[in-house]
Order: sequence, then structure tokens, then C-alpha cells
Amino acid sequence: MNTAFARKLKENSTAFSFLFPFLAVFSLFLIFPIVYSLYLSLCEKSGYSIAGLKFVGLKNYQALFKDAEFWWSLLMTFYYALLTIPAGIFLSLMLALLLNNRLPGKLFFRSVFFLPNVLDLLVVGIIWKLLYTSGGLVVTAMQYLGFGMEGGILGNPWTALPGIALAMVLKGSGFGMILFLAALQNIPESVFEAAEIDGATGFECFRHITLPLLRPIMLFMIITGTMAALNTFTEIYAMTDNGGPVVLFGKHTLGATKLTGYYLFSKWENHQYGYAAAMSYVLLVVTVAISLFNSWLLRRKD
Amino acid sequence: MSVKGKSKAIWIQRILLYAALSIIGLLVMFPFIWMISTAFKVKGYALKFQLFPHNLNDLQTMFTIRNFIDVWQGMEFSMYFLNSMFVAGMAAFFATFFASLAGYAFAKKDFWAKEKIYYLLLSTMMIPGMMYMIPQFVIVVKLGWYNTYKAMIIPHLASVFGVLLLRQFIETIPESLLEAARIDGASEWQIFRKVIVPLAFPVIATLFLMTFLFHWSNFLWQLVVSDPGLTRNIRTLPVGLALFRGPHGNEWELMMAASCFSILPIAVLFWFAQRFFIEGMTQGAVKE
Repeated sequence: MNTAFARKLKENSTAFSFLFPFLAVFSLFLIFPIVYSLYLSLCEKSGYSIAGLKFVGLKNYQALFKDAEFWWSLLMTFYYALLTIPAGIFLSLMLALLLNNRLPGKLFFRSVFFLPNVLDLLVVGIIWKLLYTSGGLVVTAMQYLGFGMEGGILGNPWTALPGIALAMVLKGSGFGMILFLAALQNIPESVFEAAEIDGATGFECFRHITLPLLRPIMLFMIITGTMAALNTFTEIYAMTDNGGPVVLFGKHTLGATKLTGYYLFSKWENHQYGYAAAMSYVLLVVTVAISLFNSWLLRRKD
Repeated sequence: MSVKGKSKAIWIQRILLYAALSIIGLLVMFPFIWMISTAFKVKGYALKFQLFPHNLNDLQTMFTIRNFIDVWQGMEFSMYFLNSMFVAGMAAFFATFFASLAGYAFAKKDFWAKEKIYYLLLSTMMIPGMMYMIPQFVIVVKLGWYNTYKAMIIPHLASVFGVLLLRQFIETIPESLLEAARIDGASEWQIFRKVIVPLAFPVIATLFLMTFLFHWSNFLWQLVVSDPGLTRNIRTLPVGLALFRGPHGNEWELMMAASCFSILPIAVLFWFAQRFFIEGMTQGAVKE
């Protein structure tokens, strides 16, 4: 055996002994499930044990494509993304602009705005439920101002999802703020000085210098925001019961806050693991499609 | 404009800025202020608003520590709290440890299919976590881990984000340092322990806090792998709170007191280690 080969073998064996614990968990719980999920989506539960399964072919997918509730949940997910993403970008950018200076105490405010990001989502949801409940502070204040809210904000199909979105935007905006702040501080002062000499107003500077430079961050926030909407579960679970106030659409009974994540969970709760796995796969395809579209968009802009 | 006039304008600008920041800050913090004030109210007073007490009797309805005692002792939240500490602590420790080992291998070793494995890691980051719930659940049940701490901890011990973070940092450690240790007769493990870990410690601490936080709030998974009827003794804080809501949904004072046990420790931790939190959480994004 030549020495180069022996050295290579030794390097490989040390490398894999360092990699082993990570790779073992990674393959069993992050790689294998992708394949296994495909198999599960072709099965349905049978018998009394929790995970007893029987092969049924494409039945779950056929049922899923005819399932009005699934399409509704997808629609509501995109509605939720539409409610949270632009508002989130706007508030984060505003906070970043307010803090992009040498104001004493700036770091204190930065921490205050960021803090809600690290706090437990379920608990934050429950606190907002208290504020939004009928007789709660927000509803009482609105009644005082002349807006009656029968059943509270979360009991009304029109206000339930926007109410949740508002709570989440306030919780999450500190994150985008940090990203915007980092980008703002990367813009050299000299650019603005030059523009000022050329007679640009403050707004023109913002419109033509700052905003284009912040574009990659906005795009990043749109991508992560869409992914987050597809993952949304906990805040819905915390704030509304069984997918929220009922919406009647034709002969279908739908939930105003039943996003895909919650619908998936409700299928799990009913032990419809095969159906839920099929749904996961369709959502995975949707996610990959969105990611590809976004990266295409990103490349086109460059 | 005179110098004096200019400094006056700056002051006015500052005052307006502080006013705007304070208003938004109050708005962002308000839910938590409300949580704390509700937690101190006497039972049945959560939805009765009074900005200022009119007499001593009013004051007594606005301040009691009874709820905290009830929730902590009578309703087993002390146990849930310790369970959450255990689950989040163990998971964070092992996930960080595994990611550091793997990060070292990716940064400093050459091995078979390295690039392919790395791309596999990156591609799993694109998959939303929700999609893993069903297959991971069935795997956990088949392994016989349902209703155990193992089920809550082990499936999340492979932190891809952690490996990327550690790889990036360890790559900046000069090779000559490792070579010097090797000449001194250090084994690979000793190099990892004595050179890599101390140098990468800030990054390791960041990762530990990130994973701790993730598991402290990993409500959905902890709910899915524990049967509500059977597992009182391994129940975590968020799951305990969610199940407490069923029978006690209208006892807001108690729920807010229970919420404090989840929120306040993390808020305090954040305040003292915020550099790690903010850097850790925004790292992935800034690198884009």
C-alpha cells in the first residue's frame, strides 16, 4: 500500500469519526423522512396501533386534489403571507431608519424592538388572545371608539387572520430591523454627500440611493416570509380554536384561520397520517417552486 | 443658521425621534406589560380595567401573588418548567456538540463525497420544518420513543445551520496552529478540545443559545410526541400551557402567571447575552 493512499484513508477515517454523530441523526431524521414521507403518502392508517399502515396507492393524492378545504388553506396561507410580509418590511424599515443615527440610547431601543423575537410564540399568541377576546382591552377600546366587535377580534371571520398577522408583525419586526440596519450602515456617507452636492433632497436620496441598496434584504424577507407562512401553526393554535370562525362557501364549511400548517396538524390529530404525508409532499413541491421562482427573480435582478 | 439655532434644531429632532421610538417601543412591549399586570390581578379581574385604583379595595384586586403560587405549586408548572429546562438544555448541548464536531471536519478535513454531503445539508435547509412532522412522528412511534424525552430531543440533534456556522468560523483558524499541536503529539480529539473549542467558543455559545431557544419554544413537536392523557411527568412548559387552556381557558390571571414562567427567564437571558442572540439569529441572513 502506498503512503499517499494510507494517509488519505486515515484522513477519511478521522473525518468520518468526527462527522458520525451528526450524520447519523441527519440521515435518520432529515434525509430518510423525505423518502419515507413519499411512502407514507401512499398508505393509510389501518388497525388500532398508532402507526399501523396499509398501502393504498395514489388514493390520498386524488382525494387531496378534490379537497376544497386544502385549496382554501393554501389560499389563506398566501393571504396570511400578504398580510404579514409587506407590513413586516414596512415596520422593520421604519425602525431601522429611526435608529440609523448616533442617538444616545440607540442600543437600548434596538434591544427592546428585538426582544419579542426570542419569546415563545405560543405564549405570545395566548397573550394576544387575551387582548383580542370580547371584553379584552383591544375590543373594549374599539367599542369605546365606536367599533362594535361581537365575539371579539378572533371570533369574526373578517378580522381574525388580520388580527393574528398584526400580532406577529409586532413580534417579528425587530428581526428585519437588524438586517436593514446592517445594510444601511454599509452605505458609505460619501454617496449621500455627493448626492447632496448635486442638490438631491432627503427623499430623493432615500428613493434613489437607499432603497435600491436595501432591495436584496426585502427579497430575503419575502422569501423567508413565504416559507414562514407555509410553516405557520403555533400562533393559529394559540389564538383560535379549530381553525377559527366559520366561513361558509357554497356547501363547504371552512375556517377563517385554517392555514396549511394547521390543516396538516388537524389531519395528524385525526390519525390520517397518509393523507397528511401526501399534503406535506404537495406543499414541499409548492415550496420548492417558490424558492426556484425567487432565485430566478434574484438572478434576473443582478 | 446660527450655531445656537442649529443645536436647537438638533435637540428638537432628537426629542421627536425619542418620542417616536418610545411610542413604538411601548406598542411592541405592551403585550408583555399586559401579561405581567394581568398575572398580578385577583381571580376574575382580568377583564376589568381600571387605570388607577380609586381606593384601597381596588388596589387589592390589582395586586396579588396568589396566581404565581397556584400555578407553580398546585398546577405543576414547576415540573413543566424543569422538563422544559431539561429538554432544551440536553438538546442544545448535544446539537451544539455534534455540530462542532462536524463543522471541524468540514472546515479542516478532506474526505470522500465532501461536496456532495455539503450540498445535501444545504438542500435540507430549504424544506419547511412542518413537512417533517408526519414522517418523523411515525419514525419515533416505530422506534418505541413515543411519550419519552428521547422523542423530544433526538430527532432535532442534527443542526445544519450549526454546521454551516461552525464550518465558516473554524475555516478562519490558521492551519499552522493545528500543525503545531500535531507536532507536539496532540491527537485529533485533543486538537479539537484544546485548540478548536476554545477559539470557537463565542460561536459555540451562540449556537447553544440558539438551539436552547428553539427547543424552549418547540411547541408543535413536543405536543405531537406526547400523549396528553399519559405524559404529565415529561410535559414541557408550552405543552403544559396549551393543555391548561382547555379546562381553564377563562382564568386569564392564572394563564398569564403561567406565561410569565416561560417569558421572563428568556427575556432576562436575552438582556444579558443579547449580542449572541442577535448575531446568531441574523447570521444566516446577513451572509446572503
